[in-house]
Amino acid sequence: MRLRFDRQLNWLHVELIKLGSLCEKAIALSARVLEARSDEVIDEILGVAAQIKAKEKELESYCMMLLLKQQPVAKDFREISAALKMVSDLERIGDQAADIADLSRHIRGETVHGLLHINDMAEATVKMVTASVDAFVKGNLQLAEKVMEDDDIVDSLFNQIKDELICMIQEKRIEAESALDLLMAAKYLERIGDHAVNLAEWVEYSVTGKRKNNEVPQNLW
Amino acid sequence: MTKKIFRSMLLLSMIVLVAAIGGVMGVLYHYFSENMSDTLRSEAMYLAVAVDDEGTGYLERLPAQTERITLIDGDGTVIYDNMADPSNMENHADRVEVKEAMERGYGESSRYSGTLSERTMYYAIRLSSGQVLRVANTHYTVFTLFGGLISPIVLILAGMLILSAVISSRVSRRIVEPMNVLDLDHLDQVPVYDELVPFVTKISRQKKTIKRQLADAKKQQEEFSVITENMQEGFLVIDSETEVLSFNKSALKLLHADYFAPKQSVLTLNRSEAFCQAVEAALGGEHTEAVLELGQKRCQLIANPVWEKKTVKGAILILIDVTEKMDREHLRREFTANVSHELKTPLTSISGYAEIIQNGFVRPEDVGKFAGKIFEESQRLITLVNDIIRISQLDEGLMPYEHEEIDLYEEAKETLVHLEPAARHRGISLSLNGEHFYISSVRTILHEVLFNLCDNAVKYNKENGSVRVTVGRQDGHVTLTVEDTGIGIPQEDQERVFERFYRVDKSHSREIGGTGLGLSIVKHGAASMGATIDMKSTLGEGTAITLRFPLAVETAQPDGPEQH
Repeated sequence: MRLRFDRQLNWLHVELIKLGSLCEKAIALSARVLEARSDEVIDEILGVAAQIKAKEKELESYCMMLLLKQQPVAKDFREISAALKMVSDLERIGDQAADIADLSRHIRGETVHGLLHINDMAEATVKMVTASVDAFVKGNLQLAEKVMEDDDIVDSLFNQIKDELICMIQEKRIEAESALDLLMAAKYLERIGDHAVNLAEWVEYSVTGKRKNNEVPQNLW
Repeated sequence: MTKKIFRSMLLLSMIVLVAAIGGVMGVLYHYFSENMSDTLRSEAMYLAVAVDDEGTGYLERLPAQTERITLIDGDGTVIYDNMADPSNMENHADRVEVKEAMERGYGESSRYSGTLSERTMYYAIRLSSGQVLRVANTHYTVFTLFGGLISPIVLILAGMLILSAVISSRVSRRIVEPMNVLDLDHLDQVPVYDELVPFVTKISRQKKTIKRQLADAKKQQEEFSVITENMQEGFLVIDSETEVLSFNKSALKLLHADYFAPKQSVLTLNRSEAFCQAVEAALGGEHTEAVLELGQKRCQLIANPVWEKKTVKGAILILIDVTEKMDREHLRREFTANVSHELKTPLTSISGYAEIIQNGFVRPEDVGKFAGKIFEESQRLITLVNDIIRISQLDEGLMPYEHEEIDLYEEAKETLVHLEPAARHRGISLSLNGEHFYISSVRTILHEVLFNLCDNAVKYNKENGSVRVTVGRQDGHVTLTVEDTGIGIPQEDQERVFERFYRVDKSHSREIGGTGLGLSIVKHGAASMGATIDMKSTLGEGTAITLRFPLAVETAQPDGPEQH
């Protein structure tokens, strides 16, 4: 019985790795699409996002099935509940990558890119997602910590881009529509960074049983 | 074991006990009955004689007796009884023993009482008066006797139980003990009883077989791991759940994993799409190949399914570092493209000039000039082809390979003499410094290398510049440095100038007339002589290229600097 359960947990782990890999691909592609627009790549991203969505549903019901049928406790329970949460964070990452791809269709004026730090931000976000998936795959707490720290870089880059855009709008160097789209794209990237941090926190939870800044109240009942 | 022995022992003693009791009781009972009937008979006879002589009064004078004595008249009426009132007793004429006595003179019989616990024996004898005298005695039956024996039997049984428990546990311990203390590692030296010997021999034989098989298996395992560990290629075996069963160091190195915990999915090592797909395809039963981008390197992944009874039990993954191979392939493609281009350019010119002449568009006095151009281009073509041939020879190691002692200084001097006219034409001064050092080398290759180096120094120099060649010694090496005051090589191109057909300034190459193979020849030539190349260059100021030869013989002859 335990052997079967172990195999099910193993399968879940492997599938999560695959889902993580898909998300990495989606966000890496959308970073590329921000740099140089390409309809082919946009279609590819949308395909990957659909794949991610399907996998999310599959893994979610699998986790539920495990919780119901195996009634796990202790570490097993942590692993499955963390997986359940990670699945939705990963799905959000995939979805927002697709949103960025969608937005990039409307952003005009390649010259704007060089002046903005949006590519730096995309690069930093891709790194964060990769690192958080890495942390999960290897169960590496240091990597998870690093992801949480790196979020500050992405956040400050977002503020910088916002200021830059304000400047450009005031100086009328950019179309208002493009400026808004760029701001949205930057916001999505910032959100993806937050999801990466969530992932890292769930990794920490599934390994140590503790959640940062989120202690469960002892006198709950 | 103890229980079994105990049970059989108890059973045995019970059987013995029952048999003994039965036998003894049967024999004794029979003996006692015989004895009693004898006593009864003789007693009856004595009494009969006495009664015959003295009449009934004798009986009444007898003291109280255990036996019952009855006197019965000829018609069966009881006349006397010593234990009951005769008037109350019924007629005894139909009693077996009385009847017999009436007929034959004596009779006997025995009857059980109502409870079967007692048995009464009768003996009757006919008196001369026709009366019958009957003597009776009562004794206990077998059952009563047995009933009396029950408590001692129970005692004996209890004793037997205890005794057989003790004995059986002892016996079984003694049987089992040699097996328990059996030292399985030294079976030959164990003292065992005879019945155990075949058992022990068989175990020891099997043990040896197992030991040998284990050793064989271990050896095979070691051989296998030595092979896989020393493989350049990465090697991974996974099961159908993608769990890693076996891996070697190269695999971890190629996949950039410094540590791998066992029993993990192979996807924890690499989760790129190509890798996932290859693993999935292999586990689906297909042979797959893919090229993985791993940081700076490229790896070829070969994934093969492992079949067992028509189901895929796992897969074998092999990783081969193909970075160099792909780079070489890239270079080769580039070389082919370059060669065709370099060959085509002069040929196009030649064909163009020839066509113009053929069509008669050239004035007769200009034909010479055109012929000159054609000659020039053909010369260029010949130089190029020669260079290509030379570089292929160096590449393939086909150049004559006779090593001889060569004075590097003299060789350099000779080269500079050759280049003197070209240098003078552009006002470039050539100088040679240093001492005479001998190196062991192949003259043609050395000449080729020196010529190309110095030729480059002159070609890529400024007007009125200078070229300085120095032969010296440094750290056990003979060095030859060619310095120029030329145009220099930009930092980003310094790595690539030794590549075939690589040019820093592509637009001016034709004016200068190089083939783009000079430094490539230098590189290959130096490599075949075992020399190393060191290049320092500053854009706009000049280039210094140093060749370091391994020192052959200590025959330095001090000689002053010579000017050319």
